[in-house]
Amino acid sequence: MEYQDEGRDRRITQLRKGVLELAVMGVLYDERHYGYSLVRVLSESGSISLKEGTIYPILARLDRDGLVRSEWVESAQGPPRKYYALTAAGRQLFDALSQELDVLVSLVQQKWKAPEQSERAGKKLVVRKG
Amino acid sequence: MSAYPEVVAKIAGDYLERVKSQLRLVPAHEQVEFLREIESHLYESYQQMPGEDDVARILAVLRNFGEPAEVVSDRLPGAMVRSGTRRNLPLYIMGGIFIALFGLPLGSAGFGVLVGLLAALAGILVAYYAVAGSFLLVGAVTMLLGLIRIILPQLFDRLVALGYIQLGGPVGEFLDHFSPGYQGILIILFASLFAGAGWGMLWVGKYMLRGLRFLFSLTFDWMRRFAQGARRKLRRTDREAPQLGKASFVKQ
Repeated sequence: MEYQDEGRDRRITQLRKGVLELAVMGVLYDERHYGYSLVRVLSESGSISLKEGTIYPILARLDRDGLVRSEWVESAQGPPRKYYALTAAGRQLFDALSQELDVLVSLVQQKWKAPEQSERAGKKLVVRKG
Repeated sequence: MSAYPEVVAKIAGDYLERVKSQLRLVPAHEQVEFLREIESHLYESYQQMPGEDDVARILAVLRNFGEPAEVVSDRLPGAMVRSGTRRNLPLYIMGGIFIALFGLPLGSAGFGVLVGLLAALAGILVAYYAVAGSFLLVGAVTMLLGLIRIILPQLFDRLVALGYIQLGGPVGEFLDHFSPGYQGILIILFASLFAGAGWGMLWVGKYMLRGLRFLFSLTFDWMRRFAQGARRKLRRTDREAPQLGKASFVKQ
């Protein structure tokens, strides 16, 4: 039982990690954000409790791959903030990835219970592939 | 950091030091920029954190932020590769030349000696069993001849006359003193010595074989552990490399 719980938590974490990068790209698609504001948007709109620091490895990865650009902006409230925005390449990639995600989500949401339904779903998938 | 109460500044500074210690191999300008970004985040997060107790607030902020290792995890590999190639390239080239000039030939020679030793030992064992087998064969054939001398002495004489059995010299003269029956018994006794020696060699060989098998398995086990150790060391180097240096951002 304990193992099952651990396994479930680990899988949930993996799933979130995979999707979080896409969510970050989504938030940065139209608006620029700095780390803290990005975390706020993600936790408020997605009701996901995440370690705030985990956003920085994602931003670093996106930056390294040229998917975001960044700039320092002075702030009246305190230290300067580093703002991030998606580049054109980042937008393109986001569009492609979100389409893929839609396909995956619809695949996961299929009801695979009755044999007839699953057969129909299988046919659907084949049609999509083609 | 000046807007923090002193105790909060100390706690936040300590956290940034921990982050900095994880970024030792990252180029200095990247370290400075990253730590500024984290500092900015912590400051804002602290300002937004509700509560009266300053220490509890900053601790909650740091708890929410996560461990330094998690925060820098993805920043390291690429930076490490860049900084490593930039700073240590001549050293790597020198190391490569030394390995090519000395390491590989010496390593190959050592490996060759080891393989040669094992092959020689295996050869000795094969020769040993060949000798033991020969002793047993000679013993059996001679025993058969002894029996022929006792049961069919005419056949034995005929074989001697045809040259199939050579019993000349002092051995032949010695056997001529006895009747054919006694000669047969003496031949069988002589054959027993050979057969016994062959049997004894086989018995001792069993232990030799065990010893050699032990030696082989020891050698292969040693090689396997050496390879595993080297692989583990490489992996550990990859993991520990981020903790090797310090930046100077927080003190500024």
